[in-house]
Amino acid sequence: MIYLDNAATTKPLQSAVKNYENLLTDCFFNPSSTYGGGIETKKIIERSREKILKLFPANYEVIFTAGGTEADNTAIFNYSKRGNIVTSKGEHSAVFESFNELKKRGLEVRFANLNEDGSVNKQSLLSLIDDKTTFVSIVHVNNETGAINDINDLSKSVKKKNSSVVFHSDGVQAFGKIPYSICDSVDMYSISAHKIGGLKGTGALIKKKRLTISPYIFGGGQENGMRSGTENVFGISIFGDVAKLHYENIRQNYQEVKKLKQLFVDNLDRENVRILSGNNSSPYVLSLSAEGLKGEVIMHMLEDFGVIIGTGSACSSRHRHSRILKECGYRDSVLDGALRVSFIDGITPDEVIFACEKLNECVKKLKGIMG
Amino acid sequence: MKKTIIIRVCEIFLKGKNRFYFLNLLEEHIKKALDGFTFNFTKLQMRYLIDGFDDFDYEAIIEKLKKVCGIHTISPAYSVESDYEKIKECAIPMCEDWSGTFKVETNRADKTFSIPSVELSRQIGGDILSVYGKNLQVDVKKPQNTLRIDIRENGTTLIYTEVIKGVGGMPIGSSGHGFLMLSGGIDSPVAGYMMAKRGMKLSSVHFHSYPYTGEAAKEKVITLGKLVSEYSAGMTLYVVKFTKIQEAIHERCAEDLMITMMRRFMMRITERLALKYGGQSIITGESLGQVASQTMESITSSNSVVEMPVFRPLIAFDKLETIEIAERIGTYETSILPYEDCCTVFLPKYPAIKPKMERILKEESRLDVESLIDEALSNVEIIRL
Repeated sequence: MIYLDNAATTKPLQSAVKNYENLLTDCFFNPSSTYGGGIETKKIIERSREKILKLFPANYEVIFTAGGTEADNTAIFNYSKRGNIVTSKGEHSAVFESFNELKKRGLEVRFANLNEDGSVNKQSLLSLIDDKTTFVSIVHVNNETGAINDINDLSKSVKKKNSSVVFHSDGVQAFGKIPYSICDSVDMYSISAHKIGGLKGTGALIKKKRLTISPYIFGGGQENGMRSGTENVFGISIFGDVAKLHYENIRQNYQEVKKLKQLFVDNLDRENVRILSGNNSSPYVLSLSAEGLKGEVIMHMLEDFGVIIGTGSACSSRHRHSRILKECGYRDSVLDGALRVSFIDGITPDEVIFACEKLNECVKKLKGIMG
Repeated sequence: MKKTIIIRVCEIFLKGKNRFYFLNLLEEHIKKALDGFTFNFTKLQMRYLIDGFDDFDYEAIIEKLKKVCGIHTISPAYSVESDYEKIKECAIPMCEDWSGTFKVETNRADKTFSIPSVELSRQIGGDILSVYGKNLQVDVKKPQNTLRIDIRENGTTLIYTEVIKGVGGMPIGSSGHGFLMLSGGIDSPVAGYMMAKRGMKLSSVHFHSYPYTGEAAKEKVITLGKLVSEYSAGMTLYVVKFTKIQEAIHERCAEDLMITMMRRFMMRITERLALKYGGQSIITGESLGQVASQTMESITSSNSVVEMPVFRPLIAFDKLETIEIAERIGTYETSILPYEDCCTVFLPKYPAIKPKMERILKEESRLDVESLIDEALSNVEIIRL
């Protein structure tokens, strides 16, 4: 199998998983327990926290959550209580639907327009910020097109217009992949483990220490009272290791994956497949469209060759068309044929070439039927 | 005081000497629907009583009964000793949430019970008013709430306030065995439900054309089949691989007849499966004129390749009427999931709306119909739902 849907999820890194297998058999204790086993388990969580914290400045802290969606929700629902709140039309549904929910609850919600590549239109974003804006959330890397938003620049510009804004970014598709140093104007940043070889059900909200979080999950007071519930020790411990590993090699991986993406593009039948991702998009995501054809059918045809790609966001697969690509201004025939190829380090050039050739073949065959 | 469920039958009472056949069938299906629960089952005159279940199963049992064809109404009730004080003690808390108007209705099958029906209604009504008089008034003509007291001959009394509508119709198996052509759309599950309601045992056939339709589309059909099977006392789903047939039609026949040809193959295959597995009819979700393949001419074309009767319960339904039923039986939300349908990929730009039989036969002669059908039938996946 050649797996090229790494923006949906990645294969867990076996070496990291193996390191913690004892947690399932011997060291299974509740980290809140005060006997030896419990304390040891707690230490494992704290070691993982330290590994992630090292990637951020000292004035940030980590709240472990059950994934990126919970991290986004924690940030949004804590700091969207008055005035108006601003996001973009290119957000992952974890942010987009949270904003829609707040709109239903009566808050004034504003959505910034996108550029054709899926990045946020800066002018549009800034035009929405006024002295009543309290919260802004902008995705770091668009999960469908791979467009990279310069969130350091955007957050600085937003705060120039209104310094009291709390700025959050969903960094799920960027963390561990895009070389990046958070700047002081980004107050909160959501990350997820399973996009970088960790396990599903593990994420974190990175937040400035001075920002208080009122929990919406109450209970035993774990995570300094900000997120109760017995910790996912296995997932969290692996998260720390995969984050560390990805950051140690982040530039090298970035260059390697960039070459893989370029190799795919070079082999692509450009007459039949259109590239939707912009030139400066994340090397990890390539958005395509076999215009006039059905993306889902091509995906299944490729599956027969052992090549796995996506049609868009797996989190939005219940909708016929991609909301984000629609906001980029594409017509229905482009949306029908939308495909997403997403890479990770470790894939070989031969695999990329094979996958691309098969994609070309499938598109050609389907064009014969539908074209 | 114990919880009891009253079940009333539908039009079985219209049946003459066959009545017991229908009643036995219904009894069998009620017991099958409640398989896994502990309960006592009592037959009365055109009614059944269910009791002896665990209290926490009460709601779940009612939900199951709501899907048994042949049941007219269901009433969650209490059963008490036929004694005035016991009846009163049970009745009063049952009216706690009421407001507006009410009446008490008594049916006294046990004529030895000392208080006549009208008098008992009056007395219990008075007792209710003495407790909730602030919120309630008596209205015997058009009450908003009704408490019913049923004094049975065996010394027990049933008390209830609610009459829940059942599916109605006839017990499954009393009207033959139909093979439903089940796509992933809104109509076919409703068509299956409607025939099940008339007592027809169901099997279903789905045409799967991987890779033009994916596994998710097949899973969706399985989910729909399961939802329909809750009404049809189980169902077998036959999944036919249809890709080769579609590709053959696409390669060799006129584009505008693609859907016409596909429908003819689907009908033939469904009939063959029905003949093999004991079916006597075909069921489709067609509605006259809804799409190109459902015009008079298209239906004539697809109908002409089979000998079995074809039931089309939605033929005169508007889409919105069908949607209303789909929502009620719980299939709508699944039906609208956006996975590719096998027809959409091969959909011609201009499908023939009034295909001529002569032309259809000429186009079809380019295909080896029998061997394509045989091949499809040799590899059918059978799923018991």
